[in-house]
Amino acid sequence: MAQDPRQPDDAVDCAGVLLRLFEFVDNETEPVDRARIQAHLDECGSCLAEYDRDLLLKALVRRACARQSAPAQLRSQILTRITSTQVTVVRRTES
Amino acid sequence: MTTDQPAVEEIDAQAAADAAVDVATETPQERSARFEREAMPLLDQMYSAALRTTRNPTDAEDLVQETYAKAFAAFHQYRPGTNLRAWMYRILTNSYINSYRKKQRQPLQSDAAEVEDYQLARAASHSSTGLRSAEAEALDHLPDSDVTRALASIGEDFRMAVYLADVEGFSYKEIADIMDTPIGTVMSRLHRGRKQLRELLTDYAAERGIVRAGEGS
Repeated sequence: MAQDPRQPDDAVDCAGVLLRLFEFVDNETEPVDRARIQAHLDECGSCLAEYDRDLLLKALVRRACARQSAPAQLRSQILTRITSTQVTVVRRTES
Repeated sequence: MTTDQPAVEEIDAQAAADAAVDVATETPQERSARFEREAMPLLDQMYSAALRTTRNPTDAEDLVQETYAKAFAAFHQYRPGTNLRAWMYRILTNSYINSYRKKQRQPLQSDAAEVEDYQLARAASHSSTGLRSAEAEALDHLPDSDVTRALASIGEDFRMAVYLADVEGFSYKEIADIMDTPIGTVMSRLHRGRKQLRELLTDYAAERGIVRAGEGS
């Protein structure tokens, strides 16, 4: 359905896009919706800013949670358990 | 260049063999060796995730120990060639929920009822552009420690969903499998978790004077 350019339909369209924006940021959007959202972002500054902010937040979390090395002792404890083959699983007692 | 490390081709060949192994005829020794080859390279990742989940190194070590013990004991149930990382995460998440959350007696974050709710809130939140870019600018200048502090402050279901999506890059479907919830719940947790994160980070930015006082009001 072609959009009527005289119709002030932007608010509705923005609401629809904002609703799906985080899926878009996560790359979880269906191809059809993807094209529609992309087209909207190309022409709507407000939604684009919102998109940039979502993207930034995702990148911030990723950057801040950089991978940490497991303690050497933990690694050797686990390896010992694996390589000793005779394994008993210690079940935590639940209260 | 000479090295004692196995060549890339040998590693690839081993990985291909591990992905096609017949679990039924495998000896315990072979299975142990395969577990070591496949699961041990994930250790840093699992430990990092456990740190973010439990929020302290001692509990993180316990959680990783427990995860590897359970994974090793159940490794015959893991289908070779499928997503081992997701499988391990599922065990980690389950272990955390069963052992730690029960211990802590933390109230559960109720989010199921609000799956639809966030959509309305989101749709109404559209406002001016200028403030947004200033805010984005400010968030980008926050130290990493502020981001991890904010992440540690939000509800654990939200924190796990955000971590799995943003740090580990899992799909919604994979996160739903790992957290054993419907995809709609994953989306709700992600949305609400990020919203809370953004609010906290905006506060931190104001505290640090990165954003001018009163700008957000």
